[in-house]
Amino acid sequence: MRAKSFCGSVDHAISRRGFLGATVAAGASAFADMTGLDQLGSSALASQMKKNQKRVILLWLAGGASQLETFDPKPGVQTGGPFRAIPTSVPGVHISELMPQMAKRMHKTCIIRGLNTKIGDHLNGAQLMLRGRRNEAGLKYPDIGAVVAREMARLESQVPDHVTFYTQTEGRYYALGDAGFFGARFAPMELTTENRPGNIRRRDGITALDHQQRADLRVLLSQQFAKGRSSSTLGSHNEAYERVRGIMASETLFDVTQEPQKVRDRYGPTQFAEQTLIARRLVEAGVPFVRIGRAWWDCHGQNFETHQEMVPELDHVMATLIDDLHERGLQDDVMVVTLSEFGRTPRINASLGRDHFASAWSMSMTGGGIKGGAVWGKTDPLGNTVSDQEVNAGTLFATLYAALGINPHKNYYVGSRPVPLVDEGIEEIDDLIA
Amino acid sequence: MLTHRITLTIVLVFAGFAPAVELLPANKPIETVIDLAIQARLQADGVQPAPQADDATLIRRLTLDLVGRIPTLVETDDYVGSSDPNKRAKLVDRLMASPGFVRFQAEQLDVMLNSTVAGDDRRQGSVRNYLRTALADGKTWDQIFRDLMLPNEDDPKTKSAVNFLKARARDTDRLTNDVSVAFFGVNVSCAQCHDHPLVADWKQDHFYGMKSFLDRTYEAGNFLAERGAGLVKFKPTRGPERSAQMMFLTGTIVDSPTVRELTKDEQKREKELIEKAKQDKKAPPAPPFSARAQLVELALKPKESQFFARSIVNRLWYRLLGYGLVMPLDQMHSENPASHPALLDWLARDFRDHGYNLRQTIRGIVLSQTYSRSSIDPREIPPAASYFAVGRLKPLTPMQLAASLRIATRDPAGFAGMKPDERERQIESLVSGAAGFAAYFEEPGDDFQIGVAEALFFSNSDRIAQEFLNNHGGTLLGRLKTVTDPREAVTLLVRTVYGRLPNADEMKGLTDYLARRTDRTPEAYKQILWALLTASEFRFTY
Amino acid sequence: MIRCGSRLHRFSHTDSSFVRIVVAAPNPEKLKLVKDFGYPMPVFDVAPVPQSTRCFFGAADFQVSEVDLAATKWEPRKLYAHGSYVTTVTLAGSALISGGYDGQLIWWDTAKNQMIRSVEAHQKWIRKAVTSPDGRYVASVADDMVCRVWDAVSGKPVHELKGHAPQTPQHFGSMLYAVTYSADGKYLATGDKVGHIVIWDATTGKSVTTLEAPVMYTWDPKARLHSIGGIRSLAFSPDGKRLAVGGMGKVGNIDHLEGKARVELFDWQSGQTIAQQEHDGQKGLVNRLAFAPDGSWLAAAGGGTQGFFYFLNSDAKKILKDEKAPMHVHEFSLSPSGEEFVLVGHNRIAQYKLG
Repeated sequence: MRAKSFCGSVDHAISRRGFLGATVAAGASAFADMTGLDQLGSSALASQMKKNQKRVILLWLAGGASQLETFDPKPGVQTGGPFRAIPTSVPGVHISELMPQMAKRMHKTCIIRGLNTKIGDHLNGAQLMLRGRRNEAGLKYPDIGAVVAREMARLESQVPDHVTFYTQTEGRYYALGDAGFFGARFAPMELTTENRPGNIRRRDGITALDHQQRADLRVLLSQQFAKGRSSSTLGSHNEAYERVRGIMASETLFDVTQEPQKVRDRYGPTQFAEQTLIARRLVEAGVPFVRIGRAWWDCHGQNFETHQEMVPELDHVMATLIDDLHERGLQDDVMVVTLSEFGRTPRINASLGRDHFASAWSMSMTGGGIKGGAVWGKTDPLGNTVSDQEVNAGTLFATLYAALGINPHKNYYVGSRPVPLVDEGIEEIDDLIA
Repeated sequence: MLTHRITLTIVLVFAGFAPAVELLPANKPIETVIDLAIQARLQADGVQPAPQADDATLIRRLTLDLVGRIPTLVETDDYVGSSDPNKRAKLVDRLMASPGFVRFQAEQLDVMLNSTVAGDDRRQGSVRNYLRTALADGKTWDQIFRDLMLPNEDDPKTKSAVNFLKARARDTDRLTNDVSVAFFGVNVSCAQCHDHPLVADWKQDHFYGMKSFLDRTYEAGNFLAERGAGLVKFKPTRGPERSAQMMFLTGTIVDSPTVRELTKDEQKREKELIEKAKQDKKAPPAPPFSARAQLVELALKPKESQFFARSIVNRLWYRLLGYGLVMPLDQMHSENPASHPALLDWLARDFRDHGYNLRQTIRGIVLSQTYSRSSIDPREIPPAASYFAVGRLKPLTPMQLAASLRIATRDPAGFAGMKPDERERQIESLVSGAAGFAAYFEEPGDDFQIGVAEALFFSNSDRIAQEFLNNHGGTLLGRLKTVTDPREAVTLLVRTVYGRLPNADEMKGLTDYLARRTDRTPEAYKQILWALLTASEFRFTY
Repeated sequence: MIRCGSRLHRFSHTDSSFVRIVVAAPNPEKLKLVKDFGYPMPVFDVAPVPQSTRCFFGAADFQVSEVDLAATKWEPRKLYAHGSYVTTVTLAGSALISGGYDGQLIWWDTAKNQMIRSVEAHQKWIRKAVTSPDGRYVASVADDMVCRVWDAVSGKPVHELKGHAPQTPQHFGSMLYAVTYSADGKYLATGDKVGHIVIWDATTGKSVTTLEAPVMYTWDPKARLHSIGGIRSLAFSPDGKRLAVGGMGKVGNIDHLEGKARVELFDWQSGQTIAQQEHDGQKGLVNRLAFAPDGSWLAAAGGGTQGFFYFLNSDAKKILKDEKAPMHVHEFSLSPSGEEFVLVGHNRIAQYKLG
């Protein structure tokens, strides 16, 4: 009898959403995926899935962007702030006047206005909104980047699986990419100081030939050691070194100057714009998950000034990215998500700021299997509570995963312990999936 | 104060803990009991264990496990060359008496206690400094438990123990679960929302029962404080809201009139206390009745202490053998039995009977034949880990890796020329300087996966090249400047880094490599050293 | 200005188109709070009706309201609405001109209680509008970075003053917060987010000179990648020679208004800095500056989480009086005698008096 060790069971293993989730994890035997349908793994199916390999660009609005100044404006009420609401390409749907470009593209985008995620501090909020649930004592969950990396990365991939940009120092610590119990194989390549990854370029002190031949020596020695020994950690160690050359070759993907000046101008000159353009280059080359951390939206003072400064940039970059993906025919393969750790209080404080608020806020998803033009959730006239179609973090993540073709109810195994991708009893919102 | 049990719970809990077989006598040496118990199951299931590891492997394993670094070449040579029949016990005792033992065990216990906070906020919760002092003072596990759970912020020796509770005081749900996981091997978080669907031991009453001991803990200013009363309420999956009792995991309940809601006046008083604590920069006074102290007393009572003793014994076993008697470590309950239930119970009993002495249990485990098996197993399908038939590969911890890199890249002749005391000091100073470097690596957990970031770091970072691949005085590469014979150079390199002679394939491969680079021999030595340091043999305890 | 030993001073402008006799400004030491009133929303600007106890104010409820501060009951009356926050109100004779984040300037006949006209004055948020001392013109500034001068009676545009960059050096939209007239009406000064100040010839609409106060703008490239601050207030000395500039010193954590309240004083014609005064005890933006009618002190008010109201000496080097305002102050009005202040700000209106 298998030990019962967690509140998951093989009963959960029956896939509810069809043929899903090709996985790189086959290489890591500890993660042998027990989800019934994944075991079929016919090659025809596998190639079909690879063709439809989905990718995600997450625009992480670190610090907490205001829903009232973006996707859920409340003009004219006490909590509404100074900005107007403008009509969008979806009849009846209005967003903040700070987002005129996205307003024209609203039919491509889905907004969730009914987030109630309860956690209003940066650290725990970010942990929650990057995982869809809170870490437990003794069990660290992989974040969305690690999950997408694991589900979507190609075994033979020469590119990184999981890339995060977070150049600013504020809040970076709260939102570190984390592969949780998946282990470092799916941990992000983290770019924090410049747009080129660290340690990706050969040092000047060593020739290309020596670099290669010492790696061959390493293989020779490791092979001696591996005789009569096996473990998934050992496998991951050698696999990591095998990937070095491929990753080094992908350096140019991070080089924004490789793009035509016209394209660069279109995105704009700011750091966020450049990183988003790099993200587009990366997903185009097959990187499954890229997160751009755009810090820092924590407008305790001067909320309106700051949103007036930052939202137009977001509007422009987001709209440009969406257009660019469409022009490249990638709109169904790449999902663009905007998400924060929480939103901001409807109440306006003495510094004309808004504070942390997780009870009724918004996010957006575009493309990659999400229904365009959908709006889910409604907040009360002042924006203090969700009045209809409330969504918690788990439901949001279940929906994201389902739209990407990842069965949210599948189990991973930590040792013998089955751990479902989203918590028990959580269901995706079918209405938002294309 | 009265204690009583819920009848239903006692039955279920003790069904789980009832010894399956009679325990061996208490007076047998720990290592003997371990080997008997492990051997019995191997025999019963017809599983052939791997042979004992050779001496060079064993000293490497013991040195890494006990003091957190690889041995120097002179230590290995002395050990391998010794014909003393008691050399293993002597080595163990020497290592356990060295300052490195306290340092490394404190690190490991700190990681164990803070494993959950580590992922969330590395800046909080470290009790490493406290643990070092406590272990150096010979404190036992129950004393450490008391210091951590009932910290005295006025005592400079135990002051930093407060970090464990402080880092969690703002979230008592988390505190409840972390305390249950760290000290009792039980993850009750599932029972926060519903009775556990599969594990009859775990009801919502258990989670909220444990929470009732801890929910009165809070932060006042920068200090830890506790309320004199409090009531935890919860909404069961069915039926009306319930009030929790102070109930330990065994089902034992502490009756106290303080299980009640705070009055308005008391709530007001608490706010004043917080303000006062901030102003005076002093902890508020302890309440006359401390629920947390009740938990500590109860958990250590003879009839209740099985959770406490079994959890730490299982964790020590896991750390040294690479796999627990119960896996996962936080799932110690009736429906997840130990692979060797009688052994676990014997070890727990022995641990308790010897005053919760960590050293005694550690020493017993590492002296067993079970511990010293070879990690090589040519069989196609190796036996399950829970047989402990084959030595298990354990990835080095960040500190082990950083410390070992420093030792492996020094000139071995330097260590050989020192007196043992001097060598010890030199090693400790090398190791303590490795802490910053350790931060580049990830703390391994179950089914740890090494990522490409580490491989890129070793392949291309300035830090590796400058810190470990230079040929300054006192380094291994510095020593190699005087070596011209390729076979001699390869032998020195492999022996220094791996503590063994190169085999024929390695000798051929490495000397061929040198032969193609006679124009730049120093560069070639450097690249061989790099390959030795990055190959799997260096990355694991094997 | 002639000092003659008595409290009476004669003050004359060099261009003596008019001559005013002013009583020496009262001593700031005698500052006291007369009354304060709650309001459900932040109030951004106030325009007292001369020789009366009434005033008009604009607020975050989009409304322009009128209230009699002396009435037994505090009873503001809503007059009309803008499409967004009303950030500025100013009187030109019996006409009230209001502006807001909707970009509109609205002329209101205070005698007939009816709207005269609404003008789409700016493409972006209007931050401030002021009436020239002679009452003939109104100058408005907005985030389209243009200062527009209007005929106060006809509402026709007179000048369009362009001298502020639409974008910050970091490629984000800039903001134009502050505008003021010199007492003789000859000059206009405008100040923007990045600390750039332009002095204009009010008659010709030509730029006379520029000044820089870059400390007022904090761009955080490392931690938070956005900005805070800006020039929020400007005031000419009564003799027209000096220009006081208000805002906030450099900010560590730009999520909060936690820079020190900052005033810079220029001899604007020579471009020389006379003082750079940071208040060690007050944090936040100096949203309003005003000199005493005799130039003997400079009043500053503003706030962050809390409000402040303090008086500097004429060189802006010494604090004469320091008061904790009951709210973050967005604006105040000052009576011609220099005795009465009406402060408006976060959910509150407060009346102060000197002596």
